[in-house]
Amino acid sequence: MNILTQLVLSGMALGMIYAVIAFGYQSTFATSGTLNFGQGEALMLGAMTGLSLTGEIMGGPYLNYWLMVPVVLVIGSLQGLVVEFLAVRPALRIHSEFGWIMSTIALGIIFRNVAENVWGRDDVPFPSPLPTTPVHILGANILPMELGVMVGALLLMGLMELFNRRTLYGKAVVATSSDRGAAGLMGIDTRAVIAFSYALSSLTAAFAGVLIAPITLTGASMGSVLGLKAFAVAIIGGLTSGMGAVVGGLILGIAETTTGFYFSTGYKDVPGLILLLLILAWKPNGLFGRAAVQKF
Amino acid sequence: MLEIEGLEAGYGPVRVLHGISLKVPKGRVVTLIGANGAGKSTTLRAVSGMIQPTAGQVRLAGKNITGLPAHRVAQAGLAHSPEGRRIFPNQSVRDNLILGAYTRLTFGHSRPRGDISGDFERALDLFPRLRERQYQLAGTLSGGEQQMLAMARALMLNPDVLLLDEPSLGLAPVLVEEVFHIIRRLKSEGITMLLVEQFAHAALAVADYGFVMENGRIVLEGSATELQRDEQVKSAYLGH
Ligand SMILES: Nc1ncnc2c1ncn2[C@@H]1O[C@H](COP(=O)(O)OP(=O)(O)O)[C@@H](O)[C@H]1O
Ligand SMILES: [Mg+2]
Repeated sequence: MNILTQLVLSGMALGMIYAVIAFGYQSTFATSGTLNFGQGEALMLGAMTGLSLTGEIMGGPYLNYWLMVPVVLVIGSLQGLVVEFLAVRPALRIHSEFGWIMSTIALGIIFRNVAENVWGRDDVPFPSPLPTTPVHILGANILPMELGVMVGALLLMGLMELFNRRTLYGKAVVATSSDRGAAGLMGIDTRAVIAFSYALSSLTAAFAGVLIAPITLTGASMGSVLGLKAFAVAIIGGLTSGMGAVVGGLILGIAETTTGFYFSTGYKDVPGLILLLLILAWKPNGLFGRAAVQKF
Repeated sequence: MLEIEGLEAGYGPVRVLHGISLKVPKGRVVTLIGANGAGKSTTLRAVSGMIQPTAGQVRLAGKNITGLPAHRVAQAGLAHSPEGRRIFPNQSVRDNLILGAYTRLTFGHSRPRGDISGDFERALDLFPRLRERQYQLAGTLSGGEQQMLAMARALMLNPDVLLLDEPSLGLAPVLVEEVFHIIRRLKSEGITMLLVEQFAHAALAVADYGFVMENGRIVLEGSATELQRDEQVKSAYLGH
């Protein structure tokens, strides 16, 4: 067995999860210049509602995994609309430059507390929809669900790209991202586009939640660290570049699995944070980012 | 068609417009001239909803559109080709034009659909350079081409009134001429326009009526021929 291939493949699966969450950060930043710091909690809510539907914790299972996913995506979108309405819109209305930071963090904490009361504080296993015996690829053992994570992540990002390029509403989102004022002149309701981008951002997080849940532990606190690391990925890759999110995610994911193996699992979070500090000092707009242009 | 009365607006605490009143009758071209910083662009922004007026009224075809958000003003039939072009650089020329027709394409048809593909062809006939560059990213166009795109995009709304903010700004003389040639053509097609220009000479030559702005106020108005003859206007804006 080739241990390095093993580590790289596992790191890639983890990295694609980070990339999906980072994509969510990017989508709201593009349209509104704001971020949902409760992204991790959106992921957790996706995983926990998914578990409630496919697992036994709420007297289920009610749906199999594949039918559960679209339901979770709908719930995730609605949760994003709530975040936009309660935490972001009021801050933007009063032109508060940083108000949304506190309000999205606060709302995230509230979501986590609610989840702790509904589902308890303990981590629980999430039933895997795919076989749990590893398959052999390039001399490494990899879980089918790890491959599922990579495929699912690429599929979601591909669909989003297609939506942006090919559909009228996608074009309106892109236009709002590049120039909100001019988009308004086209007749695009840019406030609605911002709300939509929040729905999309929470949808991607919820999707990441049900993707990663079968290969990790599921619980009310699972989102905090993932959300923070994906934020690091969004900064590393650049808040404006989808490609950057993927590259940043892969770098961080692989750095973590290899550090965990060659040094100590106790240090596995360190390389990502060091990378973050280096990037902030050396390329503040991220590896792939463009400087955000100030427009009125 | 467009009536502005006692319009006041500004940026944050700074008031820029101190009661602007002007009218643009249907089928006419009216120009708004004035020195840099007089408040011409601010007037257009307050009309199209890019900024919110603090007082006054704006009516479009008799309908009160004062203070509506920009997308509602566009739905009401007013197109604004803003200062600095503001095209969408990461999207193709074609997508920019499609976005110009957004209100006519969306579900619910906030504006009547009409003949969108016909209008698209007409826009490309009017600006042949854009036809060749249809699939290119708008950000790769030259300054002149970007200006043509901004105008074509505004026309895709099939507007009742078209606001043009300095369409000749920063263009080479030959392109300035082309822009004015196109404005003349639009006029002959009966399009109602409010034209903001630094080239007062050329603007008055194409317009029916003009307003002169200074420090956020209208200081003079008259038919284009009157203004062309006016001594004050001549010395201040026509460089005679
Ligand atoms: N985005 C803005 N923020 C703050 N002040 C502005 C802005 N745009 C214009 N101004 C100010 O408003 C006044 C009028 O500007 P503007 O309407 O652009 O004039 P004009 O188009 O006639 O050159 C100027 O004093 C200018 O400094
Ligand atoms: Mg101006």
